[in-house]
Amino acid sequence: MFRWGRGNLAPSILAMRSFLRRREWEGWLYILPYLLLWGTFIAWPVGYGIYLSLFDWNPIRGSRYVGLANYVALFDDERFLNALTNTFKFVTMVVPLTLTVALTFALLLWFWRGSKILSNLAQAVFFSPYLLTVSVIAITWRWFFDPDFGIVTAFCKTFHLACPKFLADPLWALPIIAFATVWWLVGYRMIVFQAALGDIPQELFEVAKIDGVPFCQQFIRIILPLIKPSLLFSLVLTLISAFRTFGQVLMMTGGGPGRASEVLALYLYWNAFEYFRIGRAAAAGVVLLGLTLVLTLLGVKLLGLKSELQ
Amino acid sequence: MKTIKSMIQNGWLIIMILLWVFPSAWVALTAFKSIQEIFTIPITIFPSRPTLYHFERLFSTWPFNRWLLNSLFLASFVTVISLMVCTLAAYSFARLNWRGRDVLFLIILASMFLPMEVSIVPLYFMTIHFKLFNTLYGAALPIIPLPIGVFLLRQFFLNIPKDLEDAARIDGCSSWGVLRHVILPNSLPVLAAYGVYIFNYAWNEFLWSLICLRDPKKVTLPVGLRLIQGAFELDYGLINAAAFMASIPTLLVFIILRRHIIRGIALSSGIKG
Amino acid sequence: MKRLGVLFAVFLGLGWFWGLAQSVKIEFNTLFHEADAKAMEDIVNLFRAAHPEIQVELVQGRWEQYYAELRLAVIAKNPPQLGICHVNRLMEMVDYLTPLDASPVGNLLELAGIDPSLFPEATWKAGQINGHQYLIPLDTHGWGLWYNKDIFVAAGLDPNKPPQTYDEFIAACEAIKKAGFYAFHPAEDALPRKLRRAWEIFYYQMGGELFDPAFTKATFNNEKGLKALEFLVNIFNAYGWNVVGGNGYAQFTAGQLGMLFAGNWFYPTAKQSGVNFGYAPVPNLFGIPYTWGASHQLCVPLQPADTPKEVYLGAMKLARFITENAYIWTMSGGHIAANKEALKDPRLLESDYWKESGHILNDMIQKGLVRFPINHPRGSQLENAIETYIQLAVVGQISPAEALAKAEAECNKILSEK
Repeated sequence: MFRWGRGNLAPSILAMRSFLRRREWEGWLYILPYLLLWGTFIAWPVGYGIYLSLFDWNPIRGSRYVGLANYVALFDDERFLNALTNTFKFVTMVVPLTLTVALTFALLLWFWRGSKILSNLAQAVFFSPYLLTVSVIAITWRWFFDPDFGIVTAFCKTFHLACPKFLADPLWALPIIAFATVWWLVGYRMIVFQAALGDIPQELFEVAKIDGVPFCQQFIRIILPLIKPSLLFSLVLTLISAFRTFGQVLMMTGGGPGRASEVLALYLYWNAFEYFRIGRAAAAGVVLLGLTLVLTLLGVKLLGLKSELQ
Repeated sequence: MKTIKSMIQNGWLIIMILLWVFPSAWVALTAFKSIQEIFTIPITIFPSRPTLYHFERLFSTWPFNRWLLNSLFLASFVTVISLMVCTLAAYSFARLNWRGRDVLFLIILASMFLPMEVSIVPLYFMTIHFKLFNTLYGAALPIIPLPIGVFLLRQFFLNIPKDLEDAARIDGCSSWGVLRHVILPNSLPVLAAYGVYIFNYAWNEFLWSLICLRDPKKVTLPVGLRLIQGAFELDYGLINAAAFMASIPTLLVFIILRRHIIRGIALSSGIKG
Repeated sequence: MKRLGVLFAVFLGLGWFWGLAQSVKIEFNTLFHEADAKAMEDIVNLFRAAHPEIQVELVQGRWEQYYAELRLAVIAKNPPQLGICHVNRLMEMVDYLTPLDASPVGNLLELAGIDPSLFPEATWKAGQINGHQYLIPLDTHGWGLWYNKDIFVAAGLDPNKPPQTYDEFIAACEAIKKAGFYAFHPAEDALPRKLRRAWEIFYYQMGGELFDPAFTKATFNNEKGLKALEFLVNIFNAYGWNVVGGNGYAQFTAGQLGMLFAGNWFYPTAKQSGVNFGYAPVPNLFGIPYTWGASHQLCVPLQPADTPKEVYLGAMKLARFITENAYIWTMSGGHIAANKEALKDPRLLESDYWKESGHILNDMIQKGLVRFPINHPRGSQLENAIETYIQLAVVGQISPAEALAKAEAECNKILSEK
């Protein structure tokens, strides 16, 4: 590494002052590359997007400032409200399910006393969907539920079950997409929880065992509190991810049947790139932003995890 | 008695594994079936005569190789630059003192929640203005400054004992020296972890690549799959073959680097405040 | 050193002159993919060989966001020089296109020698708005009746006499259904917009109109609209001719479907599937044997102010070449070329496509039986409103009457905006 006792051992006051001054602009220097990229490609576009949402945007004929009219029109648009509702439904399905399944798998593997090879295989298998791209997820699950040649339909026919039309059924489309999303996201959260479980000191479990504490109590009293940071991390990540869902919906149902699976991000996409209503799309984006922010902060507060963020 | 119990235990886990992997397995099985076999009712599970026909068509009809390379280039470029840029920034937030440091950090942290959807059209104009539209660089740049990178690295840097740095400073080390000699050597795990995270993120990035990359030869893998699906949704053999091929690279890497990847993820998230 | 400098200057000068000669760069951006894209690429390659002084960059395949991107490109002053415009998108795009007869550098049609009489009058006029010509017709394409000859035989029907009247059609469907196959699929792969097209065919055949000429309100929520929608819904439900969610393309290719309404672009797939197929005009079910169709046309997006004349002319030359060589276009993609001369090319007339299906579609076009989609600035929104509720009616979520009422309400709302 570095050698001791090299150079001056007791810097003079002057050196100290210039040292401090150097650090001032040094701090900015180091952050400059990141700040440039962040400012140009994240901060400024969002600002401009918010700006756009206040206009009836038409550069050829002249944009008109309309203030909050786009937002009013949004909430007056049944299709937007439908997209909003669908997004909430989707988030409500995906977030708890993902966290629960991931935690269950983590606990299962953590307390596994059987074959090691099997548990390694299980970990790998449970994790691997996370590595697939959203397009593959969509193709996989859409093919799985294909009404003519999919395996689920065949299963239903073989056992003479009256199965719904799955992705063609307004009631089933969104839940199926949600399920596919859970299947996709669980892997990463599972590893996070496994790591958190690994950090819990073993003695706590040994003491609990000696004391004859049932597993439920162990879970609530020992495990949950100690894995709180990981829960927070996963919750925030999954919330943000679920609100922004776009790819799977586009490729599995395109928002249909009807608009049964049209989520906010998809509504935005159609408005911007199909109907060319840029102002309206920007307003929808701002709503999406606001929602994500508010609900994440709410989630953090509810779980009493504010301290973990510092 | 014990062996029966363990057999049942193992059995349950095996069933769960099979169920979980089944959707992907179904895609793989379909990819090797002939067109006639895919379209027969009742359907068959295993291909009676496995064929590479769809794979041949995949590579001859679509620039699949290009897509693979494009994705590889994009993900690598994003990972390298992001690591560099986020490390510098995280170091500044964690170890250097300057006015407004904590406020700025909170702002950047808050931007983690910004969905890209708000910025799509402005980003479009920006990339055209900088002549980055329809280039992989244009697709890469908005992904690089991920706030979570700065957050994760800063957390880790904060946990590196201050004594090491003090010692180096007394030695006359500049900030850059501290970074090079103290922080970086001790941060390899978290750098690897973040590297894995952002590589996967960039590899799977869909929305911005869909908008920014106009030329079908320049798109990345996720968008390419969308093009195949959108073109003629009927060609199930081809679509499944494409999905299968698209999964192979990442799965291969995972098989080889499994332990490192998992350790990295565990590390980057198990960080407490 | 000085000699090197002179040499360098001469080299630069030569390069500059050579650059001038090479300076016309055209970007031709289309939304075509697969067979269509290949056909267009072949035509453009011929053009490149014939006109080496014009560099053509061909970008194809991004049909999903095509019109939005075209507009954004114009706004960003980075548009392609030649693009595609569906004839029903003209009103939406008109602000972003160059009027060909009144461009900043003159009358491009005259300068490039494009003769309107080479195109059918209706198709040519469809590219006009406010007295200006914006589009050059490339093709007309549409839906026809594809049927499985083997299934016809199995059902006891004459494979060389596909149904052309309502009674024949019902009889055929019932016979095929009895033989154990899917009788009929009216809408390709049953995507919402295809279901809407099927409904439009039935409705137009009854003599209905979607909107009043001034586009002030929806006019389809009436007896005819209801009858048409009920017919469509029953195909998938009460009549049992097909199932909800069924994919007509897939069923036909698998040899499970007796009759299918699909576009001419289905031809390559049908050929490859090995099915013994036949092609017929859309039967006259309800009065007038209309079918659904559209027309691809070439357009010159609005160029930045200082675009030189050569660039415009280069684009127009390319456009003219494409229409003249559109027999390639028809042979590969099945879209019937608009240029009458191209339709006379023997290579086309001798091709399998023309003999097996193309000439029938051309017939329908010549007789004026192809109905184009509505032409309105908010056309895509209106169509989306209609197809949403049609799809819900087909899957049985709402009744046909409710669907039409809701569609009408939403369309009127869209029409009343701004």
